[in-house]
Amino acid sequence: MWRRTGLDLRLLLMSALLVVMGIAFHALSGGVFLSPENLYNIAQQTAVVGIVSTVMVLVIVARHIDLSVGSVMGFVGVLIAYLMYTSGWPWELASLAGLAVALLVSMYQGWLTAVLGVPSFVVTLGGLMSFRGAAFLVADGKTQPVNDEFFQRLGGGYDGGIGVVATWALTALVIAGLFMRLAHERHSRRRHEMALEPLWLDVAVTALPSVVLIAFAWTMNSYQISGKGEPQGIPIPVLIWAVVACVLSFLVHRTRFGRYVYAMGGNPDAAALVGIPVRRVTLLLFALLGLLVTVAAVVSIARLNAGTNSLGTGMELYVIAAAVIGGTALSGGSGSILGSALGALIMQSLDSGMLLLDVAIGRRMVIIGQVLIVAVVFDVLYRRRFGEK
Amino acid sequence: MASKPDSAAPLVELHDIRKAFGGVHAVDGVSVNLYAGEVVALLGHNGAGKSTLMKMLAGAYPVDSGDMVIAGDLVHIRTPADAQHLGIETIYQTLALADNLDAVANLFLGREKLTPWRTLDDHFMEGQARKVFQRLNKNFTNIRVPVRALSGGQRQVVAISRALYFNARILIMDEPTAALGPEEAAMVGRLIRQLKADGVGIFLITHDMPDVFALSDRLVVMKNGKLVGTYLTADVTEEEVLGMIIAGRRPERKAQAERFAS
Repeated sequence: MWRRTGLDLRLLLMSALLVVMGIAFHALSGGVFLSPENLYNIAQQTAVVGIVSTVMVLVIVARHIDLSVGSVMGFVGVLIAYLMYTSGWPWELASLAGLAVALLVSMYQGWLTAVLGVPSFVVTLGGLMSFRGAAFLVADGKTQPVNDEFFQRLGGGYDGGIGVVATWALTALVIAGLFMRLAHERHSRRRHEMALEPLWLDVAVTALPSVVLIAFAWTMNSYQISGKGEPQGIPIPVLIWAVVACVLSFLVHRTRFGRYVYAMGGNPDAAALVGIPVRRVTLLLFALLGLLVTVAAVVSIARLNAGTNSLGTGMELYVIAAAVIGGTALSGGSGSILGSALGALIMQSLDSGMLLLDVAIGRRMVIIGQVLIVAVVFDVLYRRRFGEK
Repeated sequence: MASKPDSAAPLVELHDIRKAFGGVHAVDGVSVNLYAGEVVALLGHNGAGKSTLMKMLAGAYPVDSGDMVIAGDLVHIRTPADAQHLGIETIYQTLALADNLDAVANLFLGREKLTPWRTLDDHFMEGQARKVFQRLNKNFTNIRVPVRALSGGQRQVVAISRALYFNARILIMDEPTAALGPEEAAMVGRLIRQLKADGVGIFLITHDMPDVFALSDRLVVMKNGKLVGTYLTADVTEEEVLGMIIAGRRPERKAQAERFAS
């Protein structure tokens, strides 16, 4: 019965944990934590880490790692800000230039890993330091303000929500899409003479995320910055994150690329023996990482209204932690995009919740570090219990 | 299935194949051929070079020197995909399965069926997989769970199905019965006879003497990377075969057999 719903027990447990955490912090903070304003902030603060985590899942699944994401994001972010502020480029052009540089960086690191066979841990450990240095060199350490109003919206902030009408329209569209996909899936299974689950079960499983979506849209539409005429609606960074997560889930489940990434992680020897172009897939994976690090850099400098040489410092830890808390096995071969989103949300909620309760920075770091260990311990026990490696 | 046996030309001709790893000659000037509808057993100690020779035919290793002729055409096999295009399928002893993927994904791994939109045609693949698995094992229905959860026999079914579904005309089997129970081993034996009757040429790497005498038409013995000899299985005794494997000693007054005269 459980298997038939197609729901992942681990993801449900994590969602439950998130809910419990939310209620606990809400009670402890005297009714602040679950307020629309706080949830809006948590959602948009999580977006940058969340965007990079989606692809970090795939990198780890393929038995690689990238420790340089924070530094590369800083380097690319400050470069884009520099091109806009000091060189006076329009934001589109500056962002494309940033993308080109990010792709060069990721191709360089991917080539060392995929073609020369240098462990990605070592390559990107070097990158962690080098590209932090490069971030300093771009503008000689000077902060580069970002003033373009449209660009600033990409980071959330004052005008960074899509508004009430667009939020409801989008929510309706996505829910309609979910049910259309269900109908198409059932039609297709019938055509191929495959077993069908009862209609009520399928509908219930699709209704669950729909309810979550409606609740989210309603919350985002309830947050109105004082002195502003209209509520915020869904913050643009969260929208970008959602689109990225959907595209990557599609790649994982519906394309050869995704299947090969998992096969390479599950059994690298078998992947080579059956003729999977391992090098090409690895290079593509690094290119995808470069693309999404650029997206994260854009959102990041738009949110901070500036590019600084310290942008993204330590972010690699949060990104990897989000993937691991979300159930990605560091031994490769398993992990999910949705899991990384939940992992990122759990970490950000924990951090924000403790901030609300005035927990000092030192204690927060101690606790978050230990939570990561708890997550890995849980992962080990869970896999043992369910007979995975 | 493959075309009917063509008695004229061999399906596979390997001429003077060489392969060295570092300074070690893993395969040293070996020539072997294989006809359609024939089972040739490859024998030798571990490290004799038989697996290396077959891995070159399967595209897993490039050859250092020597010619490969498939159905009369000189070919250059550089990748597993090259070998697959020539109808060469391999069932590895390790089975070469991705444990984290399900049986359907493993069956089509590297050769996924795509929809016109270049996405995976999952329903088509599941339907086809169900049919081919059913042929080998009627009770095999949990085809959508990761293969790490399957029994040894079921995993073997998945590996064999890879060769079966894609219509191998040349099949390399590396210790196909080593990890199996008696019933499953008998199933593999029946399958080999069936494929042989369909005109598939089979290289069978094995240490199991009963398998050699029950299944093979000819046998090739290798030692230290070199060919000891090629004989009709019916011409030699188990003792003589063991003599070749262990001591590299050719049996007296026995003719070598470049082909099987049926």
